[in-house]
Amino acid sequence: MFDKSKIQNYKKGREGEEIARDYLIKKGFKLIESNYSNKLGEIDIVMSDKDWLVFVEVKLKVGDKFGHPEEMINKNKLSRIKRIAEGFLVLESPIANKFEKYRIDAVCIVLNEDKTVESINYYDNLY
Amino acid sequence: MLQKVLSIASVGLQGIEIEVEVNVADKGFPGFGVVGLASKAVEEAKERVKTAIINSDIEFPNAKVTINLAPADIPKDGSCYDLPISVGILASIGELILPKEKAYFYGELSLDGSLRHTRGVFLLALLAKEQGIKKIFVPRMSANEASVVEGIEVYPVDNLKNLIRHLSGEKLIEPLKTIDTEEILSDITPDFDFAEVLGQEQAKRALEIAAAGGHNVFMMGPPGSGKTMLARAMSGILPNLTEKESLEVTKIYSITGNIPPGGSLIRQRPFRSPHHTTSQVGLIGGGSNPRPGEVSLAHRGVLFLDEFPEFGRTCLEALRQPLEDGLVNISRAAGSVTFPAQFMLVAAANPCPCGYLGDPKKECKCGSFQILNYRKKLSGPIMDRIDIHLTVPAVDVNHLMIGKNEINNNEKSETIKKRVMEARKIQSERFKDLSHVHSNSDMKNRHLKEFANLTGEANLLLKQAVNKFNLSARVYFRLIKVARTIADLDKSGEIKENHIAEALQYRVKSDD
Repeated sequence: MFDKSKIQNYKKGREGEEIARDYLIKKGFKLIESNYSNKLGEIDIVMSDKDWLVFVEVKLKVGDKFGHPEEMINKNKLSRIKRIAEGFLVLESPIANKFEKYRIDAVCIVLNEDKTVESINYYDNLY
Repeated sequence: MLQKVLSIASVGLQGIEIEVEVNVADKGFPGFGVVGLASKAVEEAKERVKTAIINSDIEFPNAKVTINLAPADIPKDGSCYDLPISVGILASIGELILPKEKAYFYGELSLDGSLRHTRGVFLLALLAKEQGIKKIFVPRMSANEASVVEGIEVYPVDNLKNLIRHLSGEKLIEPLKTIDTEEILSDITPDFDFAEVLGQEQAKRALEIAAAGGHNVFMMGPPGSGKTMLARAMSGILPNLTEKESLEVTKIYSITGNIPPGGSLIRQRPFRSPHHTTSQVGLIGGGSNPRPGEVSLAHRGVLFLDEFPEFGRTCLEALRQPLEDGLVNISRAAGSVTFPAQFMLVAAANPCPCGYLGDPKKECKCGSFQILNYRKKLSGPIMDRIDIHLTVPAVDVNHLMIGKNEINNNEKSETIKKRVMEARKIQSERFKDLSHVHSNSDMKNRHLKEFANLTGEANLLLKQAVNKFNLSARVYFRLIKVARTIADLDKSGEIKENHIAEALQYRVKSDD
């Protein structure tokens, strides 16, 4: 069902999420769930940062031919993440109840052609 | 870093200074947002600005860019904010140095970084002069509009790169020389000549009077008798625009984007002939952000309504206020604006739906009810406001046969225009102390006592006519105005009996 490029994209996504997860854990975040999904969609990583519950969107680009990864996160994307996150708060209330503050962060990663990391940009509290 | 760039917004015919605040934040998620009641065209400026900057070989900042158009409660429309926004961004990232003294930036960007023709530059120049701003930066294609305004430096900008070089002092842009308005106004060429209209001597005389005094005309006649041709030829005998009038007209044309790229002042009197399906808003002006309609575009010129009864009834009735006051007040939820609309109405109609009522050769096929319905469109209040009523009969075939010689013998528009200009000169001398009166038709009733002296016989004739034909008070005063113009054409200080008699001839129809 998947063609080759789709499988590749999927793999790249996973790679990016791993890089982002390691990066954030180094920053002192704690992992709650990877690739959380409900019927509304999927959130790349759910983490906690002190008393914040953090939903993380990861964007990965190889090379700069297709622009910055930041350009791929727009209003629509953000509102979709918001909806899924609200779903999380309801469906996973045992976890969500431990936190009073929630936010959405983004990690934008640019890889070189040889798969080494060129840059990681972290943005907190998108709105 | 926060940068502020000045530009303008237009509300009606009024320019308002707008401060374009540009903030390029070093923190926060990258994005590009515009606030301050921006319309769709302003919202889309984001894409144009971004691409234009990149195509000017400058890296667009990967940061949070916020634009605020202040004051925030005035709706902003149009593409003119492209330049101030991009100048603000470039200044924020240190690619450009803003001039020390206040300056206006205005213009639409093309994706390649060049500037396009933008409407409203003339208004910008006027506001700059009023606010004491010395420098304005505008697209080269539109810069001529601004160059007629004295006391400001107009910098024509080709593209972003040139502007950056100019502001850094690397390569300066030469400001445009102020164009002498009188020089522009003197050279115009009419496109249609009265000599080409065969026969219809009475109609020509009536149109001459109308042109001389700015009176409204109503022409009725069968199809093919030359009504439309006469009306079109009319623009050739209208007097030249004075400097003041030209500025008024240019302002309206600049805002509506009717000045072609590279054009400056409007030099010819406007001649507008909207189609009879024109909507009321199209004719009078309006819209949620009110824009001038055809009556304002015809300001100081001619509004020609061909097939007059075919226009929507509401359209025709809406003409009442502009015909009487020379302006239109448009009130919408967003606010109310006033547009000038001092035009000369030239209306043409057939006598009945088939067009041949009263024709000596062809029979009219319309029923009486049809004719009644057709005439009902021409309501009393509207017809009352028209000074000169004309019957344009079908042309006799003898007039058409000869061709060339006939055209040569006919009076040229040029000659008629000379007489018209002389009559107008007398009028402008007469009204030199009045700011809003330019021609006899602009006179208010209170002016008549001072400017229109009737001889004893003329007064008597007028009195008799009013009694006999049961004319309204408005018609009475309008008759005197037309007689005043006829007297002016005759170079007579007083209005004599024959002047009144001729004026009456254009008023009283045989079938009334």
